[in-house]
Amino acid sequence: MNEVKPINLVGVTACPSGVAHTYMAAESLETAAKAAGCDVHVETQGQIGIENQLSTAAIKAADVVILTNDIGIKNEDRFKGKLVLRVSSGDLIGKSPIIVKKLMAKLAEV
Amino acid sequence: MEIVTKDIINLDLKTQDKNDAIRQLGQLLNKAGRLNNLEGYIQNVIKRETLTTTGIGFGIAIPHGKTDAVKDISVAIARLHEPIDWASLDGGKVDLIFQLAVPESSKGDEHLRLLSALSRNLIHEDFRNKIRTSQTAQEVIDLISQSLTKALEV
Repeated sequence: MNEVKPINLVGVTACPSGVAHTYMAAESLETAAKAAGCDVHVETQGQIGIENQLSTAAIKAADVVILTNDIGIKNEDRFKGKLVLRVSSGDLIGKSPIIVKKLMAKLAEV
Repeated sequence: MEIVTKDIINLDLKTQDKNDAIRQLGQLLNKAGRLNNLEGYIQNVIKRETLTTTGIGFGIAIPHGKTDAVKDISVAIARLHEPIDWASLDGGKVDLIFQLAVPESSKGDEHLRLLSALSRNLIHEDFRNKIRTSQTAQEVIDLISQSLTKALEV
């Protein structure tokens, strides 16, 4: 088994009303990823509009893309060819530390 | 108008179930002159609740209504006398409610940034703990404004 190493993550979060879950999910993912030593960028698509838009470089460098599946994500074609994980914003809010750990373990197997 | 004021905070709300809690907080918002239509707002919040639960875990629920029944963007806060069921994502009971009221037409509103910053803060345990141990409504407001100021500076 290979060594589990920090990975590069990007994510996009959105939710039906776009006022709360979007931001909680983003914060939770960022906090968990940083705690695990990973590089992380999370774009929010809420009522305010798009914030922290992912750069082309960040997407290119990402080992995995995490998208919330509560509602559609805008400009999803940016992630063509990337490894994409779809989870609910609720799962990101509650389980980001576990999700990040599992992704790190999974990528170490490759 | 500020998004949270003392008159929409109840640090010892007595309630048995979530619909009653939503109604009581709706009444607080209405009394503070922040709604156009109390029933319309309550129905909107309860309808939102049926889409997916707003019990986000950590003992917190964030019911919200986005409707023209809301006049001013607001967050009513309640600490519950006894924790209640909220079909939470982590299965736990809820003892802290942040009930949002957002006008339908609030696109681009600066206040939405405050709500997003508050939502982000709720992810952090130390922030939740401080709200749980606050002695007065003013203390809660101070905590929130401090953290929001910090969040908006970054």
